[in-house]
Amino acid sequence: MEFTREIYWNVGHGASTLVPMYLFTFLAVALLINEARRRITAYRQGKPLDRTDQLPVRLVMMVKNVLLQRKVLSVRGPGLAHSMFFLGFFLLFIGTCLIVLQADFTDLFFGVKFLKGTFYLLFSVILDLAGLVAIIMLAGLLVRRYIVRPEGLDCKIDDLFMHGLLFAILISGFVIEGARMAVTEMGTPLAIWSPVGLAFAKSMSGMTAESLRSLHGVTWWLHFALVACFIGSIPFTKFRHIFTTSANYLFADLGPKGKLATLDLEDEDAESFGAASVQDLSWKDLFDGDACTSCKRCQDRCPAHNTDKPLSPMKLVQQISEAAQHNPEMNLIEACDKDAIWSCTTCFACQEICPAAVEHVGKIVDMRRNLVLMEGDFPGEEVMAAMEQAEVNGNPLGIGYASRGDWAQELGIKTLAADPEVDILYFVGCYASFDARNIKIAKAFVQLCQAAGIKVGILGKEEKCCGEPMRKMGNEYLYQTLARENIELIKGYGIKKVVTSCPHCFNTLAKDYRDFDFDVEVESYTVFLERLVAGGQLKLKAESFDCTYHDSCYLGRHNNLYEAPRNLIQAAGGTITEMEKNYSEAFCCSAGGGRIMAEENLGSRINVKRVMMAGETGAPSLLSNCPFCLTMFEDGVKGAELEESLKPLDIAEILVDRLES
Amino acid sequence: MKILVCIKQVPDMESKFKINAEGTWYDGIDLAWRMNEYDEYAVEQAVQLKEQVAGSDLTVLCIGRQQVQETMKKALAIGCDRGVHVADENSHQKDPFEIASVIAEFASDKGFDLIFTGMQSQDRGSAQVGVLIAEMLGMPSISTIVDFAFADGQISAKRELEGGIKALVKTTAPALVTCQLGLNTPRYPTLPNIMKAKKKELLSVEVADLLKVEAKQETAKIYFPEKKGGGLVLEGEVADLADQLIQILKDKTAVLA
Repeated sequence: MEFTREIYWNVGHGASTLVPMYLFTFLAVALLINEARRRITAYRQGKPLDRTDQLPVRLVMMVKNVLLQRKVLSVRGPGLAHSMFFLGFFLLFIGTCLIVLQADFTDLFFGVKFLKGTFYLLFSVILDLAGLVAIIMLAGLLVRRYIVRPEGLDCKIDDLFMHGLLFAILISGFVIEGARMAVTEMGTPLAIWSPVGLAFAKSMSGMTAESLRSLHGVTWWLHFALVACFIGSIPFTKFRHIFTTSANYLFADLGPKGKLATLDLEDEDAESFGAASVQDLSWKDLFDGDACTSCKRCQDRCPAHNTDKPLSPMKLVQQISEAAQHNPEMNLIEACDKDAIWSCTTCFACQEICPAAVEHVGKIVDMRRNLVLMEGDFPGEEVMAAMEQAEVNGNPLGIGYASRGDWAQELGIKTLAADPEVDILYFVGCYASFDARNIKIAKAFVQLCQAAGIKVGILGKEEKCCGEPMRKMGNEYLYQTLARENIELIKGYGIKKVVTSCPHCFNTLAKDYRDFDFDVEVESYTVFLERLVAGGQLKLKAESFDCTYHDSCYLGRHNNLYEAPRNLIQAAGGTITEMEKNYSEAFCCSAGGGRIMAEENLGSRINVKRVMMAGETGAPSLLSNCPFCLTMFEDGVKGAELEESLKPLDIAEILVDRLES
Repeated sequence: MKILVCIKQVPDMESKFKINAEGTWYDGIDLAWRMNEYDEYAVEQAVQLKEQVAGSDLTVLCIGRQQVQETMKKALAIGCDRGVHVADENSHQKDPFEIASVIAEFASDKGFDLIFTGMQSQDRGSAQVGVLIAEMLGMPSISTIVDFAFADGQISAKRELEGGIKALVKTTAPALVTCQLGLNTPRYPTLPNIMKAKKKELLSVEVADLLKVEAKQETAKIYFPEKKGGGLVLEGEVADLADQLIQILKDKTAVLA
């Protein structure tokens, strides 16, 4: 016998079935399209932004993240459950499409049936198991949401509706199958190709064919009604993420990673800078909230949220979306809460983990830009003072600019003004220039270069702050002023290569300055030194020691530099006991996003929390690669009362101690 | 209402100061320049008054080299309507009487209702210029104000006296006030205002056109204070330390007498 089954068995394939079926399907689809159009109109309030360039790259990214669920799977438990559920539901969707294709198209018009033979057997068993997997995964997710109740997971009416509807669709599907099989397939070889259906059929074995048929008929229409409900409810509920999150991968930021949009401050027609209303943001910013699935992964990793500050990256993105959809005239900064906006350290943990390609940080900086550039508002007077200091002295610390190069006096290196013929320009940065603790790192780096025979030059008093803290705090004007001065200076000396010991300087020179035609090669000192060590130019006398290592946000997440610093530590003889939160999941030190200039007055202290994580490893030293981190950890060990047992150090200090003399 | 605010560009006090060759002032190299702190309070208060009284016109005046225009632009960005730069390469050599005379000469025919100045400059610190201008223009002055209110032509200002006592002083316009720390928190200029400031009127006047007097004093010499005895670090057991401290206080001070 030919393996197949009668499509529309029992319900019939006449007008009495097809007319109401297609009518309601069209109604559901119309509902979907209508609400989708309304929402799209809301996104279009935003400014234009090109996110359809490089389509092949975008499509590959979409396929990876939708079909292969790559980002979703980065958090194992719920990620796996979602992925398996997606797979099950996706297969059922394809199965349903095949049925429609055959019954209402190829068979109807051309008499072609393809759901038969071996293909039908595979079709049958795959869909049957897909349904089972979907039910099990859905049950798992239900248990997680309503019984385990992870902290911070929103349980809205939306979630209950979605869980209920999906369960009802899946279970009713098996009831239909079971009833049909109980009448038509019992004892045939076909039955075992639908194992779950068979189990349902067996449970109905006491029923008469008559009652099985009426159960089948009623359930079939119920199942159909539920599916129509599902289709119609997509844009009104979080079901919309099926479309929006998928689309968000297509529209994702292709990088450079974390790079902010440079404002045109010379634009004479611009009446406003930064974002105070939804119309000030891009359409993508308004779309992001619809792509958000409230998975709260960002919130779980946000250093501000984890220290009881009022910021949740997830809520902020949703508040923007809410305003765009329902209250477009409202003040965005009020909607998101000013304290939340100021709390961000731009650590990028939110964006790095987001399985929906939502971009949180740029929105926050855009709102900060409005506060600073349009209102002259700052999180505190100390921040305003630091900005003014940077204007006057070119550094936020308020130290006279003329002494910027004093730290290097005894090292035998010259400023470029005295001698521009150098192998590298060491862009020192404010902290390594002025802060006593960080001057040690600058000196160590120069000594390492000298040991490797590299001729280093500095800008000395001509160097200015790279502008990073000001930019992240919203002061685009001051940033651009500082940036242009540094760029003109560096290019004027004809420098070929810049090396930085501060990841904030590195990120700014290597990414942000590119918008001002700065084309000089920029490297982090970790990468630079790693190459010198690997090439044998820099000879170290390895001496074993134990430590833990902190990935700074701007070397790690912002620039994906995880291995170079670790390789250096190992080359020096270090054994790293990793903290639980490491690599791309590293927890911020608190000083990014310009927060280095601000008092931390809300919640508990981020740096103390991070230092305590380091303390838990039992390692005697905490190595990092960033002057902000080092400053925060020196302060953090005091707050955590770990001064005696944990010593914050920079990698350069470890290396210089192990120079072969 | 016509308002004048007088500002001075001074070196940032964190700068590395050196005495100049003549030994009468500091050397100009390696200095970062900014608006005199007390003048920032004066500008802020003047702008607040301008915002309070509709139709007001606020002029900012500064004496000095070309570079002072940078500082003037900040005052314009904060909200002054126009700038008058009295060009003078040697303003640092002029005594407070000459400076006040230049400003008074400029202001004499302008009919200013209110003049704001800083309490003193951070570099010379004579605290004379403001009150001298008022005297020359024949108007009352209130010095070192920490609070300012204006209503119906009447000025109410609080002055800070010794020991935290405050005095409330009232007068009527035209008048001059000199501004002290605590008067207000100067605003940070917004970007649109910085852009607008670039297009505001900035008039330059030669100092020779306004200087009609001669100096009444001269700076004979400036010098760093002599280093007298540094700090003393006591070390040892707490009990001994306390005894040593008591002895030092008895010998060298009168606090235990």
